[in-house]
Amino acid sequence: MEEDLRRLHSEAHEALAAIRAPQDLEPFRVKYLGRKGRFTLLMRQLGQVSAEERPRLGKLANDLKVALDEALVLKEAEFGAGAAKAARAGEDLTLPGRRQPFGRLHPVTQVMNEVCAIFEGLGFAVAEGPDVETDFYNFEALNIPPHHPARAMHDTFYVNDTLLLRTHTSPMQVRTMQRERPPLRMIAPGKVYRCDSDITHTPMFHQVEGFLVDRKVSFADLKGVLALFIGKMFDPKTAIRFRPSFFPFTEPSAEVDIGCVICGGSGCRVCKHTGWLEILGAGMIDPEVFKKVGYDPEEYTGFAFGLGIERIAMLKFGITDIRLFYENDLRFLAQF
Amino acid sequence: MKFTLNWLREYLPTDLDAATIAARLSMLGLEVDAVQPLCPDLSGVVVARVESVQRHPNADKLTLCDVSVGDAVKRVVCGAPNVRAGLITAMALPGAVLPGGFTIKPTRIRGEASEGMLCSAKELGMGDDHGGIMEITAAVAPGQPIVAALGLDDTLIEVDLTPNRPDCASVIGIAREVAAFAGGTLKKPVEKFPQLTGQGLPFSVQVEAVADCPRYAARMVRNVKIGPSPDWLRQRLLAVGLRPINNVVDITNFVMLEYGQPLHAFDFDKLAGGRIVVRKARPGETIETLDGTSRTLDPEMLLICDAERAVAVAGVMGGANSEVGNETTTILLESACFNPVTTRRTAGRLNMNTDASYRFERGVDPQGAPVAMERAVRLMAELAGGEIVPDGIDFCDGVKPPLTITLRVGRTCDLLGMPLDAATIAKTLQSIEIGCTARDSETIMVQVPSFRVDLEREIDLVEEVARLVGYNEIPTTLPLVPMRFPERDALRSQRQELAAVMVALGFNEAVNYSFVAPQHADLLGLPPEDARRRTISLLNPLAEDQSVMRTTLLPGLLENARRNIYHQQTDVRLFELGKVFYRREAHRQPDEEERLAAVLTGRRHPGAPLLREGETKVDFFDVKGVVEELAVRLRLPQLQMVAVTAVPPYADPDLAMAIMANGQVIGELGRCAAAVQKGFGIKQELFYLDLSCRALLALQAAPRAFAPLPKFPAVRWDVAIVVPEQVAAGEMVAAITASGADYLEQVELFDVFQGKNIGPGLKSVALAMTYRAADRTLDDETVGKVHQKIIELLLSRFNGQLREA
Repeated sequence: MEEDLRRLHSEAHEALAAIRAPQDLEPFRVKYLGRKGRFTLLMRQLGQVSAEERPRLGKLANDLKVALDEALVLKEAEFGAGAAKAARAGEDLTLPGRRQPFGRLHPVTQVMNEVCAIFEGLGFAVAEGPDVETDFYNFEALNIPPHHPARAMHDTFYVNDTLLLRTHTSPMQVRTMQRERPPLRMIAPGKVYRCDSDITHTPMFHQVEGFLVDRKVSFADLKGVLALFIGKMFDPKTAIRFRPSFFPFTEPSAEVDIGCVICGGSGCRVCKHTGWLEILGAGMIDPEVFKKVGYDPEEYTGFAFGLGIERIAMLKFGITDIRLFYENDLRFLAQF
Repeated sequence: MKFTLNWLREYLPTDLDAATIAARLSMLGLEVDAVQPLCPDLSGVVVARVESVQRHPNADKLTLCDVSVGDAVKRVVCGAPNVRAGLITAMALPGAVLPGGFTIKPTRIRGEASEGMLCSAKELGMGDDHGGIMEITAAVAPGQPIVAALGLDDTLIEVDLTPNRPDCASVIGIAREVAAFAGGTLKKPVEKFPQLTGQGLPFSVQVEAVADCPRYAARMVRNVKIGPSPDWLRQRLLAVGLRPINNVVDITNFVMLEYGQPLHAFDFDKLAGGRIVVRKARPGETIETLDGTSRTLDPEMLLICDAERAVAVAGVMGGANSEVGNETTTILLESACFNPVTTRRTAGRLNMNTDASYRFERGVDPQGAPVAMERAVRLMAELAGGEIVPDGIDFCDGVKPPLTITLRVGRTCDLLGMPLDAATIAKTLQSIEIGCTARDSETIMVQVPSFRVDLEREIDLVEEVARLVGYNEIPTTLPLVPMRFPERDALRSQRQELAAVMVALGFNEAVNYSFVAPQHADLLGLPPEDARRRTISLLNPLAEDQSVMRTTLLPGLLENARRNIYHQQTDVRLFELGKVFYRREAHRQPDEEERLAAVLTGRRHPGAPLLREGETKVDFFDVKGVVEELAVRLRLPQLQMVAVTAVPPYADPDLAMAIMANGQVIGELGRCAAAVQKGFGIKQELFYLDLSCRALLALQAAPRAFAPLPKFPAVRWDVAIVVPEQVAAGEMVAAITASGADYLEQVELFDVFQGKNIGPGLKSVALAMTYRAADRTLDDETVGKVHQKIIELLLSRFNGQLREA
């Protein structure tokens, strides 16, 4: 029995080695490994072998069959590549694939979503408000009375003497505080408008305003939260500096600069050779704002910040003309 | 605010260079916009004295000059009309590079050697004068580099002041801030000034509007000789961009820049009655201001008048009728403090923005008037030979007493998140002349200096402490806040969901301005009663085509399509998610509605290789498919598209449908009407959809619920029915679905065909029915019975005939 097995094995391997054409493989498989093939027939005779020999011979038969199977697979593979090629003769694989149309979100939306996601991750709620605002919410409640020089910082589009296009999304700060009590954490994304148009200004742009109000909130906390945001939005190693500034609705007020993402701080055209880029305005919410919404400024403190989305998108993507955002040229939109 | 480094050093001797000062000022909140050399690099350009001039032998308009440049005499060919022996001027020696990039070389001009060039101010980038070569009046020695000789070896620094810091609209104010980090004591030009009693003067001052004019000081200088200012004064003004006029006017401008106190000099002889009256304007009153413009005033505006008429718009600009001119001999000098709001209103209404109004609008030092005036009259005596009348008038009834504010140490530390003690805080504030008296370890009594009009509250002082300590010295911590889920804005979440579907369908997102051209309503052909004509107009648009708030998103997208097609991007799929604005009654905020709109035109497979999908263009069913996909993805089976008779004017009447839900029209889709496309300049077929997101948000989405997977196979039986061509295939499908036939899982149209085999006026509609039972494999007999019933239904309901196979 054992001898028969080994003889069949070597005969089969010789026959396999002699095969020169792929079409001869199938007859070979049927002859040796098929249901009525010679290996199968021989293995059926195992029943006649003595009980003590059966396990050893059984294993041997099986091993030899597996070895032949593998040899056959290898032989098939030998012919394989050529066989497949032959089967698809004439197909030019350099032809283009079938692409499905797939659109893209506007780069401003992409960056807006990214900014919002970071703050949502920190537990900030998101609320949008009206674009056509009242003078009260846009200015007066934010400590910018009529004839305040700070109004000159906001080139405002007016609808009439009480309605205007919001110049920032800060009115949501007031609307939210009027409605809810601290602790509050919220961001307000949206469109804002200023009468200004050149290579770095469009009359409409996007802003995210954020604020946090609770007991014992400090300027150090403001620095901490913005550092977290900047590290996530840009790079954890991004240099950050806070510079004193002025906004009527915050005090102390700050401008936040990051190390130039273009030149890494060595000085270039984008950062006007300062090594720094201004990306955020921020500060501690002014007590006057708290008084307008009926919070006791002795009990609550908080901070607020605002950033321009186009500015960040321009830095992130290297866009040099802000007006491109609103031309909606497909050649522009398809790049992001 | 512009100043130069040398000017600053007159009040604060410091070795710090301009770059360091600029960097430190920026970190103090005085953002430096620019630091640049006062004049261009002019090495090789030196002071020269013309020794002799003779005619050029070969040219009428040229001269040959021998010019001393210190240790040597050079021969130069010159064409300037003003060249003459003895003139001190500027000469560019060979090797010098002029600001235009021109390099000077020894040359021959019409046969005569020229070893350099005598230069005009313009050629050196020092001014606009190109009438001749420079004429230097200062006593400078030939051979000296021109920049050093003229004192132009200086650096210009420009600070972008925030509105709260009018005290820094002065070089002394800036010097005070620099002293905070550079150390040193300020050297002020005037330490002592006389108390003005107002006795025995040939003039009087009467302030009728005390609230608008808290202080008005006036002094007289007699026998002034009007003439040009000395070079040092002219250069100070020129350096910061002010044009020198005459010595008296230049002095008022110089002292304003030095102290931040605007001054005005009247020609006293032109003031009727020797009187100054400060009052509100009368209705319709007019004045011609110094710029030669006649201005009509209103009673909100504050005027300076003499006994008869207005002689100045208070705090903004003087009047032409009392202007100082060459014949002026007696000066009445005004040094006043005007109310910021009054000044801002006046300047705003007159649309004037002057150096004076800039400062008054933000608040000048109410105690600054007499000091600046003393400085100015002394300069008038020195530079214009005037005699100062010893006394003067100082009306100061409106000046408030200086403020004392209690600053709590604990509050300061809490707000900043940083430990500071009373001594440190006091020392910090004192570095910029803020007076501090520690009451105890917890409380500091702060005496606010009069020039800091912005410091009124404790929080203002906290900011000063933070600013001076340095924001970057404050620690970085994180707030301790309760864990909780943030609320999301429902519209925003929906917008993201809709955008994801549109993007997956191959649409790019567009963002257009919210303000549009008023003609859009006409271009769309909207009837007069259409709600989308109720637009909100802006009072001050930047352009006519950005003057009304949009009431529909479609025109913006049509313009985007046109622009893209123009740029050879003819396969356009764009969508926009944004607000439209409907007017309500005046003074009420408009109704802001979020909508989704999209346009598609061009190839069905934009971006796909031509080889694959070819030039097949989109048709109505592509846009219909978008709405179907939205309904599926948003799980809104109640969304339906219905052909309507009343189609919008911008739609092709044969290819337009309304999008409905629960019986309400919430949107529309269709092919854009040819006339409207023409109006928007689009030639290729274009389809659109427009949908109210607010209405969508109000709909109840089907639950996201699991349905068990079928265990038994389905069978598909087809049928083709010939019906009259006006029968709507969709209604056939709807009838089958509505019949509630047993085992029927799905009905699908797979062919609609008209042709000669069918017969005129008829069409063949082929339908595939999928049957399945939940508990067993269906046998043909069972399916056959159901299928036959459906066929009968179709035959009877739609006047059909079974089509022979």
